[in-house]
Amino acid sequence: MADKVICVTSGKGGVGKSTVTANVATALAMKGYKVVAIDADIGLRNLDLVLGLENRIVYDIVHVIEGVVPPEKALVRDKRTKNLYLLPAAQTKDKSAVKPEDLVNIVEDLRDKFDFIFIDSPAGIEEGFKTAVTPADTIIVVANPEMASIRDADRVVGLCDVMQKPEPKLVINRIDPKKVARGDMLDVDDVLQVLSLDLLGVVPEDKNMVSYINRGEPAVLFEDSIAGRELRNIADRLLGKEIPIPKLTYSEGFLEKLKRLFGSE
Amino acid sequence: MGFVDKLREAFGRPPAKEVAKKRLQLILRYDRAGLPPNAVEAVKEAILKALEDFPFIDTKGVNIHIPEGDSEQGKIEIEVPVKNK
Repeated sequence: MADKVICVTSGKGGVGKSTVTANVATALAMKGYKVVAIDADIGLRNLDLVLGLENRIVYDIVHVIEGVVPPEKALVRDKRTKNLYLLPAAQTKDKSAVKPEDLVNIVEDLRDKFDFIFIDSPAGIEEGFKTAVTPADTIIVVANPEMASIRDADRVVGLCDVMQKPEPKLVINRIDPKKVARGDMLDVDDVLQVLSLDLLGVVPEDKNMVSYINRGEPAVLFEDSIAGRELRNIADRLLGKEIPIPKLTYSEGFLEKLKRLFGSE
Repeated sequence: MGFVDKLREAFGRPPAKEVAKKRLQLILRYDRAGLPPNAVEAVKEAILKALEDFPFIDTKGVNIHIPEGDSEQGKIEIEVPVKNK
């Protein structure tokens, strides 16, 4: 499978890298694939929280690199899906503790034992980002439909090109159909005109996302989550299924228009 | 946003997303070319100054820009029209 080692990155922080990683990895595990998610954000670990696995961590990636334990021994198994494993980041070290060749070695060690290996990249475009991208054969760039995020995503795309990596696939995260309909927020087509990348998914704003993360339960576990539905679609597209990107739908009624004009919103 | 701003937005002012798209397209053209945001203005100023001495050049028609498209990267294009006789 060409899409086996997948790095999720973004340039800008806080756009949803860990959320996308946790959810797509969980969705694939629910389908029966054996999946490992590596948190490569050394010193700022977060993926464990989104997956709700934070209190089961014994060893982390730096223990593996220092030879304290083999990679399999450091993996935390997700109890819900059984097929998902987390290799946590170290919380006390900094980004220089993991070199590109270290991550390449870990990925090689895990390659035969898993169907998918996800790498959750740190924000930024420095060493940590380069380490996270190095072992990957597929790169997913997550961007919000906002100026700073799109500009940073474009930088990441340029750097991937310099590193002779395949062109990243784009996930647009937290698009709000209401704001798009009002003309306040960039639409999917606008983003694609600016970035011209292959579109892997469009995840709508989901007011329940905060509580999913607070509970450590990925949105894909919930049938009725609007973000979860599209995150499951992303997993299916990675498996090669042709699933069209759903059109965002929102039409503002006349009353709402008036309310917006005169009201406080 | 006050009522007047909202009215202005409802009639005529371009939607925020269009403004964002235009700004991004311009920023990314500079970012991708690795140029500082004042590059074109600075080059234009220097060139106009240099062309002052040549009466046959239509300085008003001088056009300097970063061309669009991947194959055009790494260039600043300068058009210098000659005055019609």
